Amino acid sequence: MTKILYANDLTACFSLWRKEGMRVLGPVSKAKTSGFGEVQDAHELDLNLVLTARTLKELFFPRTEPMFSYSIGKQKIETGEFLPSENACIIFGARPCDAAGMAIDDELFNWDYRDEYWFRRRDRSVIITIACKESDDFCMCTSLGLAPDSAKGSDVLLRPLASGNGWRVEELTPKGGKALQPIASLLKEGSEAAAPTAEVPLLFDLEACTTWLADPENFESHFWKEISERCIGCGTCTYLCPTCHCFDIQDEGDTYEGIRRKNWDSCSFQLFTMHTSGHNPRATQSARWRQRIMHKFNYFSDKFSVNSCTGCGRCTRECPVDMGVRETLQAISTLQK
Amino acid sequence: MSIQEQYRSRAKELLREGTVKMVIGYGAGTTPLRRRPIFITSPDDADRLVLDAACRTNLAGYLLREGLLADQKSVAVFLTPDGVRTINILAAESQLATEQVIVLGFQIDGENARQLEGTRVADFSGIIAERKKKRKEQPSHEVARKLEQMTSVERFSFWEGEFSRCIKCYACRAACPMCWCRRCVVDNNQPQWVNTSSHTLGNLEWNLVRAFHLAGRCVECGNCSEACPVNIPLHLLNRRMTEEVLTAFDYYPGADEHQEPVLASFRKDDPETFIL
Ligand code: SF4
Ligand code: SF4
Ligand code: SF4
Ligand code: SF4
Repeated sequence: MTKILYANDLTACFSLWRKEGMRVLGPVSKAKTSGFGEVQDAHELDLNLVLTARTLKELFFPRTEPMFSYSIGKQKIETGEFLPSENACIIFGARPCDAAGMAIDDELFNWDYRDEYWFRRRDRSVIITIACKESDDFCMCTSLGLAPDSAKGSDVLLRPLASGNGWRVEELTPKGGKALQPIASLLKEGSEAAAPTAEVPLLFDLEACTTWLADPENFESHFWKEISERCIGCGTCTYLCPTCHCFDIQDEGDTYEGIRRKNWDSCSFQLFTMHTSGHNPRATQSARWRQRIMHKFNYFSDKFSVNSCTGCGRCTRECPVDMGVRETLQAISTLQK
Repeated sequence: MSIQEQYRSRAKELLREGTVKMVIGYGAGTTPLRRRPIFITSPDDADRLVLDAACRTNLAGYLLREGLLADQKSVAVFLTPDGVRTINILAAESQLATEQVIVLGFQIDGENARQLEGTRVADFSGIIAERKKKRKEQPSHEVARKLEQMTSVERFSFWEGEFSRCIKCYACRAACPMCWCRRCVVDNNQPQWVNTSSHTLGNLEWNLVRAFHLAGRCVECGNCSEACPVNIPLHLLNRRMTEEVLTAFDYYPGADEHQEPVLASFRKDDPETFIL
């Protein structure tokens, strides 16, 4: 026997959570794109999407966010804080690859410094993930050591019932358990079977790739130019990646008064590493693509013992010139043989 | 022989006889429906070229990449008439010399790619003149018509809504062959003309700057809308600008390589009614 949440009860669940003062967010398709947005009613959700175009990370790490304001007067300097103060939230219907991405980003944002902007939101949110029964041509979680029903980064995992009427509920963390309390009356005991999870084929040998990347001999390889010749440096792959986390600090205003903001930035951009002198250590697009791959599968893993990629496939799915991590790692694994 | 076969052997020939050092074309993509830009430098690889109705990207912008044409050697590119217009504009703006470009011309008609005769951009001027005529007669886009009927306040809020999704990745800029500036105005920070943040004002500023800078230069190839990860209908802005320039100046961007850029040139008899 296990707990079952029936789809018919979802809207009632949402109101119970709201009564507890929590916002409810989930995957929504709106204005020709999809992402996570606040919902009142279960009908607003788009649970049939394999994956939203935009990732969960935006909820914790918005594309632009004010950090503090400053004003410098004759006698005094004043600053004002902008720490996030949103209500606690339930994120209903995340995918395992996105949830895992948040756990990977936690490492980074809590490394040499605890990023309060990230963690205030992380600590106040509960991720309820739905295992995937469908995948598309770009999904590659299995190649990254994850699966369509991975628990990483989630507080509760829901397995779709074979009947399509609801989900089997697996509590994964104490935070998840607490979030289930207010809706306990709606969770029914049952033994209905879960639908099989999606079959996501293995696309490359990750270990062979990381070994090749770790070899300094390969840093200057022709491979990099060949594989990334068509990259236009548009940054889409980084902005839509759940684990890409680079940002830029910008002051808006003038020397005496303004707001300091934290804005997304991308290693695909020429400006990312441009020195004031005009010298650019990553002068070519291929050097920038190499950086993206090396960062994810070498530098990040060196530091945090985990690759900074969950195989969500967005970098290939959304690239205007059909590039992506997938092609590069597939090519590297064949180089190995 | 299919057009794909013809162009494969044409590419092979051009590379073998050394007429060009590279052929920029389309190849198979990650899924059967996708195509990707490929760069062929050896005749043996020419069989990787694909040409069919799925080949939609305007490839002209690759010619300006990282000093490709600096050695004065020639490159062949697969181009639609809009792609050829792109080359004309880039030449008029002194970004490349048309002598270095061999055109592999094609046009998508429904489900098929059709071959267009010609080798140099100048060979396509007839086709382009024909397009100009058609463009003038072309009715506005349905959404565009709706926009025209709105009050300016309604229109503003329509665009505000659309731009609110913008994540300021500048993919539209990266994808546009006309956005060749080494340093875009929005990347200048001394002074910072345009906010870098992706908030309402910053998004509006960026999208308007982009639209203005493409007035009379956009060839309506669709690269920008295609690249935008949040699907903002950028083409509506560009099309509106194109129609404006067409009506006001009878100007069709990229008609030929000698056509002066419409907003960067003047005539003594310009009415200049807007200058006080
Ligand atoms: S790999 Fe694709 S999505 Fe990423 S920057 Fe290059 S062109 Fe853009
Ligand atoms: S690198 Fe690509 S596949 Fe990996 S998490 Fe980022 S977007 Fe997804
Ligand atoms: S603005 Fe868009 S449609 Fe116009 S030339 Fe640039 S990429 Fe093509
Ligand atoms: S591509 Fe779209 S999201 Fe990116 S900057 Fe341009 S309009 Fe904004």
